[in-house]
Amino acid sequence: MDDVSYRMLELDVEAPPPSIEFRDGEAGIALILRRKRRPVGFLLQDRGSRSRIGAEEVARLVSREAAARVLQDRLREELGPGPSRTPMPPVSVAICTRNRPEQLRRCLDSLRALDPPPEALAAGFEILVIDNAPPDDATRRIVEGFPGIRYVLEPKPGLNFARNRALREARGDILAFVDDDVVVDHGWLGGLHAAWSENPDARGFTGLVLPYTLSSRAQILFEQRGGFRRGFDRIRYRQAQLDNALFPCSAGIFGAGANMAFDRATLLAIGGFDEALDTGPPLPGGGDLDIFYRVARTGHTFVYEPQFAVFHEHRRDLAGLQRQYWTWGLAHAAFVMKSYAADPPYRPHFRRLIAWWFKDQLRHLARSLLGRPNALPPRMVVVELLGGVVGLFGEYGRSLQRIERIRKAHT
Amino acid sequence: MTAVTAWRIQHIDLGAELPGLERSPGHAGLTAVLWLHGVPLGRLDYLDAELPVPASALAAAIPRAIAPAVGDRLFGRGFEGALPLRGPVPPSEPDLGAILSMPDLLGPLKDALALPPAPTEGQGLSVIICTRDRPEHLARCLDSLEPGQPWIGEIIVVDNGSRPEAVRALVANHPKARYVAEPRPGLSIARNTGIRQARHEILAFTDDDVQVHPDWAARILAGFSTPETMCVTGLVLPTELETEAQVVFERELGGFGQGLQRICFDAAFFARMLRYGVPVWRIGAGANMAIRRSALERVGAFDERLGAGAAGCSEDSEFWYRLLAAGWTCRYEPAAVVFHEHRREWQELRRQMHDYMRGHVAALLVQYAQHRHAGNLRRLALSIPHHYAMLLARAAFQRRFSGRFRLIGTEVLGALSGLGAIRWAGRKDRTPLPRPEEAAP
Repeated sequence: MDDVSYRMLELDVEAPPPSIEFRDGEAGIALILRRKRRPVGFLLQDRGSRSRIGAEEVARLVSREAAARVLQDRLREELGPGPSRTPMPPVSVAICTRNRPEQLRRCLDSLRALDPPPEALAAGFEILVIDNAPPDDATRRIVEGFPGIRYVLEPKPGLNFARNRALREARGDILAFVDDDVVVDHGWLGGLHAAWSENPDARGFTGLVLPYTLSSRAQILFEQRGGFRRGFDRIRYRQAQLDNALFPCSAGIFGAGANMAFDRATLLAIGGFDEALDTGPPLPGGGDLDIFYRVARTGHTFVYEPQFAVFHEHRRDLAGLQRQYWTWGLAHAAFVMKSYAADPPYRPHFRRLIAWWFKDQLRHLARSLLGRPNALPPRMVVVELLGGVVGLFGEYGRSLQRIERIRKAHT
Repeated sequence: MTAVTAWRIQHIDLGAELPGLERSPGHAGLTAVLWLHGVPLGRLDYLDAELPVPASALAAAIPRAIAPAVGDRLFGRGFEGALPLRGPVPPSEPDLGAILSMPDLLGPLKDALALPPAPTEGQGLSVIICTRDRPEHLARCLDSLEPGQPWIGEIIVVDNGSRPEAVRALVANHPKARYVAEPRPGLSIARNTGIRQARHEILAFTDDDVQVHPDWAARILAGFSTPETMCVTGLVLPTELETEAQVVFERELGGFGQGLQRICFDAAFFARMLRYGVPVWRIGAGANMAIRRSALERVGAFDERLGAGAAGCSEDSEFWYRLLAAGWTCRYEPAAVVFHEHRREWQELRRQMHDYMRGHVAALLVQYAQHRHAGNLRRLALSIPHHYAMLLARAAFQRRFSGRFRLIGTEVLGALSGLGAIRWAGRKDRTPLPRPEEAAP
């Protein structure tokens, strides 16, 4: 039984730091740092052989993680302009779900608790639940408990079938996607609004993804290796990036599909999501990389905004995490091979990306074999590597055939 | 295929309404320099493909760009400019409590960036400009040194080989400037001559190919914040980055800039780096420096065997070496800004880099001969060969021999010719100590 856990604590950096007493079974703490309720930092601290962390040390940890960002935050407030009050155009939020009623309920609850509320930020707001090839009516019953939330059934199994269904069904000009296993932060929509108003030319948005719990070894391992976090600095991406020769092909830098939003017209113009990626097993991934890459390649601006934050419940069991690493290797390679074929001008980039990816994996493997801190167990790295190799050899083509069969079965 | 290499430089005053950043044809990118109260606090680089940037997005990017320099001015700890150290560097962490407890930031920042009080009439500093046959450049330089500024006590133009009429005419137009002829060629000789003619306690040096910021003299003076500070250097910004040579110099060779945070080079820094060869060239640039007159009495004058017209350069850094070795302090103060027109032509840059390396090697030999600090030899025998071996390896690995890599051969030749200083480095520099002379006004 795997009962290691990190306690998650939210601290306001402006309040006096507490001392932290460890409870039995706790292997460490994860601190989410906020200022004026906005996330400004995150840190993991191993317990070691201690029974408590004194307030002074907590203060030091918090200061090291967040001091520079608090200075930036304060400068921003004083330099102005203050936050824009212009409402966004109507926003639709789509949750594509399959047989996870309890998590879906939690996610919907969080979307009902946004602060500031949607009315203050957008000219319209709707929530869609896309129920993807459900085995029963549990999801439908959950949604019926939330008046005003639209339920849409998408029989073709596959996340990107569901996302494309959302694209057709949504009425908002901005279409956000959150996974069913996330909880949105109260300031999630406010973050999207800030990113939208600061970047009128942006057509794609991603945000911070923090862990929801760290109550198993698999969850802690994943978070220690960086998790889905992309930092607490807002980033504006266009068609190139200084000192990044792999841009925009290294599409993982943009963020994660668990929390993303787009200008809906732009998505429609580029043909929506690629249904051969993110299909569910055997290729449950790559769809986010592909859509980030294609939106970035249209020449439009892409924005990462840390206030646009969600909490994601990672895989609990090690076997699940290991499967996920296989998937990530496989799906990344499938995305690369697809884009390599589809986007000739960027082939040299993709060749460099493949070389970089394998080098990076081998580096992780070396770290792992040497037992370096925060390294994954060697077999997880090997599995991801193998996934990458298999993905390079025809996985995308096989997936195209599989979804063709799914389409036929549903016509 | 000729790649577009030019970069545009745009100066932005954070006290005024922010503009959006636009693309400009023929430029590979845009460097935005962010100013507040006349002090450069941040810099943002955008590739052409990242432009345009709307004003609202620029506003969102600014706090992060200026936070290090603002932190340096307001809090110090955790925001100091990075000393060029080797080995494990003790971390300096900012103090969140201090940042939170300051009721507002912009008010104290304004005070921290305020100009020092104007000196009384006839005080201020002596500005020494050595020039050699570049009257158009000199004219622009003199124009930038506005006579109305109380911090400028006098300007001494040392003519080190021009047509005298041209220089005399320029000097005659400037109420605070004096003309001094120094026919013996060499930048160190000319500077020492300038020192002999200067009357004030603080002697500031600049070159004929720079233009100074209106507050330059005031900021330089304010940089002498402690009695141990014997030298203050400042920031050198490029006036333009329009040619490949200029871009390579600024962006790949590091230009003259040491960043936008202040740096204090003291005896502790010297001691820590002694065994590696103290990187004194990182203190600043001779085009933007000032010294106390008393420093000359303590460590001597500029070595006339070094510098442009002699071994090549490094007469400034060798002087700083002597100051630090004697326990004095040099400060880098980025609020003191001059604008330098980098060499436009590739041939000029080649020659400059050749001379830099020749002067650098000669200075290492001189420093070793004078102080017997083995770190200078270590740098000569290990660090420099290692540096070029790594560069060559990178060039070979990237299969790219453009830009900075094209200068490797020239630099190595320069370094080798600098070894010729072995013949004379051991001799004592016979430069007499310059003392103020009674000069006719």
